[in-house]
Amino acid sequence: MKKFAVVLCVLLMLGSMAFAQGQTATAGKQLLKVGMVTDAGTIDDKSFNQGTWEGILKAQKEGLVEAKYLKPSGSTEADYLKEIGNLYDAGYRFIICPGFKFETTIFEAQDKYPAAKFVILDGEPHSADYSVFRIEKNVVGVYYAEQESGFLAGVAAALQVKTGEFGFIGGMEIPAVQKFNWGWQQGIKYANEKHGTKITIKAENVIYQGSFDNVAAGQQIAASMYDKGVNVIFAAAGGVGVGAINEAKARATAGKNVWIVGVDVDQYNDGVIPGGKSIILTSAMKYLDRASYDMIKHELAGTFPGGTVLRLNAQNDGIGIPVTNPNLSADVSAKVAEVFNMLKTGAVKVADTQVAGLFK
Amino acid sequence: MADAKLSFMENYRKQSRNFRSPLWISVYVLAAVVVLGFMSGSHLIRMIFPYAIAYTIPMLMTALGGLYSERSGVTNLGLEGLMLVGYFATAITIKYTEQTSYAIALPLGLLVGVLAGALFSMLHAFASINLKADQVISGTAINMLASALTVYLARTIAGSGNVRIMLGIVRKDIPLLSKIPIVGPLLFTQTYWSTWVALAVWGASWYLLYKTSFGLRLRACGEHPSAVASAGVNVHRMRYFGVAMSGALAGLGGGTILITYSGEFNGTVAGLGFLSIAALIFGQWKPLGILGATFFFGTATTIANVSQVIPEFGVIPPVVFKVFPYVVTLLALVAFSKRSAAPKASGEPF
Repeated sequence: MKKFAVVLCVLLMLGSMAFAQGQTATAGKQLLKVGMVTDAGTIDDKSFNQGTWEGILKAQKEGLVEAKYLKPSGSTEADYLKEIGNLYDAGYRFIICPGFKFETTIFEAQDKYPAAKFVILDGEPHSADYSVFRIEKNVVGVYYAEQESGFLAGVAAALQVKTGEFGFIGGMEIPAVQKFNWGWQQGIKYANEKHGTKITIKAENVIYQGSFDNVAAGQQIAASMYDKGVNVIFAAAGGVGVGAINEAKARATAGKNVWIVGVDVDQYNDGVIPGGKSIILTSAMKYLDRASYDMIKHELAGTFPGGTVLRLNAQNDGIGIPVTNPNLSADVSAKVAEVFNMLKTGAVKVADTQVAGLFK
Repeated sequence: MADAKLSFMENYRKQSRNFRSPLWISVYVLAAVVVLGFMSGSHLIRMIFPYAIAYTIPMLMTALGGLYSERSGVTNLGLEGLMLVGYFATAITIKYTEQTSYAIALPLGLLVGVLAGALFSMLHAFASINLKADQVISGTAINMLASALTVYLARTIAGSGNVRIMLGIVRKDIPLLSKIPIVGPLLFTQTYWSTWVALAVWGASWYLLYKTSFGLRLRACGEHPSAVASAGVNVHRMRYFGVAMSGALAGLGGGTILITYSGEFNGTVAGLGFLSIAALIFGQWKPLGILGATFFFGTATTIANVSQVIPEFGVIPPVVFKVFPYVVTLLALVAFSKRSAAPKASGEPF
C-alpha cells in the first residue's frame, strides 16, 4: 500500500511537471480566452444563447480566441455568479452574458472581478431594485432597438398579407419584449397609413404569456387567437413561441391561412411543414452574433468600449429582418428595404415607449 | 394469515364504497365550469375543451402508469423522468423516420416512446424489487438520470438539445359525432387521434385491474403481498409488471406531449410527471378518480393559459387561474389525507 502511494506521488509529480512544461511551451501564442454563461435554456436554443455563441464561435474559427461556455444549474443571480467565477478561475478574462437577467449579476461581478471584461447583451448593470445604475470600465452593455426590428417585421407582414387580423404573443413583460410589441404595432399602423393595407389588431390579441418556456401555453394561446380569426401572430416569446409555431404548422397543414413572425434569429427553418413551405412569414431579428463577434474584435484591437452602453439599431445594422424571406414577395422585400433605409437616415422614427394608441 | 386476508378484503370493500372521494369535488368544479361556459355562450367551451383535453391526456396516461405501479406495491416518483424518456425517444424516432414516411412516423414514434419508457423503468424495478432499495430514492435517481441522459443523447444523436419534429398530429373533427349538439363541440371537434388511443388504454386498464383475476392479484400485491404470495402468486413478477406498465404509460404520455401540443423535445416535461403523481393521490388511486383529477388539472391550466386571450375571463386576474389547481390540490390533500386510499403496501419491499 505504501509502495503504491509512493508510486502515485511520483506519477503525479511527473504529470504536473509535464503539464507545466506544456503551458510554458504554448505561452508564446496565448489566445484571448472568451467565456460565455448561458441564460435559461440550452446553448442550442435556436435563439438568444445560440445567436450569441455563434458570434464567439466565428471568432474561434478564425483562430482569434479560445472559447468556452458554461451553463448555470439554475437561473438565479447566485447561479450566474458561480459560473462567472468558474470561468474566471479557469483563466477566462473576457466573458459574454446574453440576456437581461445578467444585469444584476454583472453589477456585482464588475467589482468582484476588476481584471475581467464583461459584455452584457440586452441590458446594463444595475442593482436589484433598479435604484443604482453603474457601469464600470470593464463592462459594455448592449441594447437593441427591438422596436425597429418589430416595426420592420410589422411592415413586412402587413404588406404581404394586405388584409387580415394580427396578434402578438410576448414572453415576460420586460422592456426587450415590450419594445418588439410596440414596434410591431407601429409597423402595422405605418403600412396601413402609407401603403393602404387593411390590418387590424385587437387589444385582447396582444398578450404577454409571462414566461419564456411554457410551450403548452404558447400552443393554447395561439390556437385561441387563430380560432378568433387572427391570421398572423408575432411570437416574441422563446419556448412559448415554439408552441405557437407548432400550432401554426398543424393548422397550415390542414389548409388554414395562418402565419407566425419569428423573433431574435431567422426562424424560417423552424416553421417548415411537409411539402417544403414554412409558416414563418419573416423574423424580427437582433444580430446577436454580430454583437458578440464585434466586441471580441474590439477587445483584440484594444478598442474595447468599456464603461459604455451601446445601442444597436438600423443605423449600425444591429437589427433587421432576414436577408432572404421566401414567404415575402420581391415587391414587399423591396418596400421593406426602403423603410429600413428610412430608419437608417432617420426619416422614419419608431417610438420605444407605449405611445398613445398602442396596446400594452 | 386468514386474518390478514380478511382485513384486506374488508379494506378493499371499504375503498370501493369510498364515493365521497376528491373525485367528486373535481366533478363539481368541472360541472361549474361547464355551466359557466354555457352561460357565456357555447363558443367559450369550444375554445377551451379541445385544448384542455389535449393537455389532460399526457397526465392521464402517466397517472394511470403510476396507478399500475403503486397498486402493485411500488411507489414510483420517477414518473417525471420516465415521461421525459418517452418524450425524447418519440422525438428522435420521428425525426429520423418522418422524411421517409410521414404516415407511420408518428405511431412508430409513440411505440418507441412506450418501449423506451418501459425499458428505463426496469432500473427502478430492479432497484426496488430485487435490491429492496428505498423506492423514493430510486425514483428520484430516475428523474435525475433521465433529465441528464436525454439531453446528452439528444446532443450526441441529433446535434442539439432541442429536437424538433416537422409536424405533429393535425386535429380533425369526427364526422357525424361532432354534429351532436352540446356534446359534439365538447368532445368530438378538433380531436387528436392519440386522445382516443389513450382513452382506449384507460378503459382497457380499468377492465384489467378491476374485472379480471389478474387485476385483483396485482392490486392485492400492493395491499398485502405476503397474503398473495401464500396463495401462490409470484409477487416479484406482478410488481415487475406494474412498474413496466408505469414506464410504458409514462412514455406514452411523454410521446403524446410531443405529437400534440409541443412539437419539440426540449429536455423537460415541465413538472407534468409530478402533477400526475398529485393527480394519482387526488384521484385516490382509482382509474375514474385520476380521469377526473387530471381533467380537472388540464382544464384549470388551460383556462389559466388562455384566459388572457378570452375577454370573458379577463375580469379575473390570470394568476388566480394559475394557482387554482395547486391550491385546490393542497386543500383536497389536507381534507382527505385521513381517508387516503393509498395501497397499504406501496413503497414496502417484499
